[in-house]
Amino acid sequence: MEPVMMILIVGCVVIGGLLASLGAHLLPVGGAPAAMGTATGIATGTVQIMLGAVMTGLFTAASVATFTDSLLLVSLSGAVGATVMMCVVMFMANIVYAFGCGIVPISGRVDVDPITKEPQAPYRTPQTDGHGVPNVVYVSGAIGGFLAGFAGALMYYALLNYAHFSAGLAAIVALSIFVANAILAAYNIRGTIEGFHDPKFKRLPKALISSFAVSLLCGIVVVLAATILGGAL
Amino acid sequence: MTVTPAVIEEEEPTKKGLSFKFPPEETEMGLIAGIIGAVIVIFTGLPAVIKGVGLLLVLLWGMDSVRKTSKYGLGTGVPSIGVLATGYGVVGALMGLAVAEYGRVGQLYPAVLVGVIVMGAIGLVSGIFANGEKFIAMKIPRLERAMMELGMAGTLAILLECSILTGSLSFAAVVDNVMTTGLIALLFIFNCFAMLHPYNACLGPDERRERTRMCAVEISGLICVLLGLAMIGLGTSPYGILDGVSLVVFGAIVWVVFFRMFIKACMDECYATVGTGLIKTIE
Amino acid sequence: MPIEVVLLFAWMLVIAFLAFIACTFEDLESDIGSQSNPNSQVQLAAQVGQINRFFNKAISGEPLSNAMYCVTAGTIAWLLLRQFEPLVPGEEWKAAVLAIPIGVLAATMINMIFSTTSHCGRTAAQKRFEQPIYLDVLYGHLIPIGAHAFMTTFCITCIAYIQSNIGTLSGNPALDHPFALPLLGFIWGITVGAIGSSTGDVHYGAEREFQDRPFGEGKRVVYHGKITRYAECGVRTQKDIAGFCLKFGAPCTGMTFGLIILFENWRSMVGMQLGGFLPALPAFTATGDMAAIFGIVLGLLIVAALMVGNIVFVKWVRKKYGPFVGV
Repeated sequence: MEPVMMILIVGCVVIGGLLASLGAHLLPVGGAPAAMGTATGIATGTVQIMLGAVMTGLFTAASVATFTDSLLLVSLSGAVGATVMMCVVMFMANIVYAFGCGIVPISGRVDVDPITKEPQAPYRTPQTDGHGVPNVVYVSGAIGGFLAGFAGALMYYALLNYAHFSAGLAAIVALSIFVANAILAAYNIRGTIEGFHDPKFKRLPKALISSFAVSLLCGIVVVLAATILGGAL
Repeated sequence: MTVTPAVIEEEEPTKKGLSFKFPPEETEMGLIAGIIGAVIVIFTGLPAVIKGVGLLLVLLWGMDSVRKTSKYGLGTGVPSIGVLATGYGVVGALMGLAVAEYGRVGQLYPAVLVGVIVMGAIGLVSGIFANGEKFIAMKIPRLERAMMELGMAGTLAILLECSILTGSLSFAAVVDNVMTTGLIALLFIFNCFAMLHPYNACLGPDERRERTRMCAVEISGLICVLLGLAMIGLGTSPYGILDGVSLVVFGAIVWVVFFRMFIKACMDECYATVGTGLIKTIE
Repeated sequence: MPIEVVLLFAWMLVIAFLAFIACTFEDLESDIGSQSNPNSQVQLAAQVGQINRFFNKAISGEPLSNAMYCVTAGTIAWLLLRQFEPLVPGEEWKAAVLAIPIGVLAATMINMIFSTTSHCGRTAAQKRFEQPIYLDVLYGHLIPIGAHAFMTTFCITCIAYIQSNIGTLSGNPALDHPFALPLLGFIWGITVGAIGSSTGDVHYGAEREFQDRPFGEGKRVVYHGKITRYAECGVRTQKDIAGFCLKFGAPCTGMTFGLIILFENWRSMVGMQLGGFLPALPAFTATGDMAAIFGIVLGLLIVAALMVGNIVFVKWVRKKYGPFVGV
């Protein structure tokens, strides 16, 4: 395998890992408290919702990869798939909060919504950390889904077309590397995060460094495997 | 939000027939499982039942590592660390399979252990990053070692399963029989569950290591049944259909014995097992 | 329009319908077992002295557990299909009719095994809080859990089967999805679980578990663990909860997954149609690229519409509900 290809694969895996970490920090995750309306965000864990979004994106990306060989188009298809998934989930979660439990979507970390400038504090239930998916969180989640889906599809494309893996192998290896990065990011977040306006978002560089190291090593492993096998797949 | 149990070294005397004390200590467990697993991985010509025993030991080791990490509270629940181990396992198995042809003697593949070692190194690096003060700073004692063990156990488990399913470790055979057919998804998810489910299911202040390990062995039995069925379906074993059938029987026996043992242990050790009853009222 | 294209769109609608059913039952199944996030309250209840008759089914998060059932079903079905399909050449659907239910049955058994171990294990680990194992709760919930899980896994396995054969079924084998049946089961299992836990759990966790608390506010931290232990009549078990969540939470969850599947497949296929890719399928040409571009543009339009919808909806809810007035 020529050196350019090797660098390309490692580059794609590293970029994918970094984007996965960034996306994990942007997704509004409320964890278990969100299911009780005690925290803002989606009522599940970081890894769980990310896997769901990326898998949806990967499904579309894999079918798109059967009829186009453009890196950008395949990655964007995956990214848009994950964004659609996130947007529908957050919208329907708001509907359940509003009509099922009578709860207004409110951010717990800021007093004024940075995007729509709506006041938040008067609507918040005391002793809670916000509830529902307000607009700023929604936008953050859509961006996070986009980046996460892009990362997953990018790794899939690199493994499929540069390392010449079969479709199933490429999917599962991309997923494995993605999961490792997402979980390191989840450990950095520790439970709940609302998005880019959350004070915890400032911890991002620590996760990015760790992600970079781990994805670099994983990328090298993949390249070594692909080189030794030399298209024997 | 999972409830973090207090870290207690519980040494309750157990009733006869319910203790499962093999090997008693975590480091010994790691050594025994690692060495036996590595030897069984290298000898791919062995019958599936022996590989099944190796798989059982390796998964027990992985579950032990998950347990000793998660009892300090991870912040994202127990499942994440099991998924991490399996994710590393897939990458490590890829590396091992890629170099498997080097130094091959007949049905012996000593080079696959390179994948295990590489994954141990990556696990160590991620453990250092996750625990380091300057980085994620999780502050879990011995997290570095646990993550290294998880990477190695995950890799060994995936390699053993590939070896069971294909009867060899040649990359072409694994790709044809495991990757392209999608069976890798089965391996992935059940490895996750064998490592994360026992501790997740037994989580609580009165959790007891031996009881948790019974659950781990029980799930390994289930995996053996499923792998045996897949072997029969694929028809790749050098020993014919008998190999798969014996694995199914072995897995079923392990499952029945340990499922009964686990449920009995739970029912004996819980506060009370009652047929039915009302709840305690609160004034 | 050629018949292949019409069939393609028809199968897409079948998939979306199956997705709706799947996620509805997935949410109910997790509610009956109190899986995923609201389970933290059931777990906490005994610790704060609230002995209860709830089923404590802690099989990791929903995405992983559902992926496990669907992968098991997909693998067994795939193995059986490999054996049966050569027996009925030209009529492969006959093999699928037999293989898929058997696979799903195996997955349901595995679900019930894992439910038993997690309920017993978690209850035994709560010995010091005096929470007993009620055998009638254990046995009485296994069949409802298994029945609902059967429906979920069955629908997902059907979706995976249709998608891995969608080209063959509609007359264009090149359109078959590149992933094999077990891997597709894995993908949709993860997704259905992620949606079930993020949407449907809210109705169970925030409303049903705290039904004796004031309506219309987020549940305060002091309420945590103090769940509603008594039903309309007698002591509450989780069989009561399925009936309640079926009225709102579960259909909403089903609609979420149905909409996602519909949007995802619809934008791909309309993109193919607009790009001129159907029915000749000139892959790796400019036409293929155009199909992908149209799909992406349509996806972005859907995202924009949903974003505007959320802004309007949040504004409306804030106006109607008003600021917090309780104490």
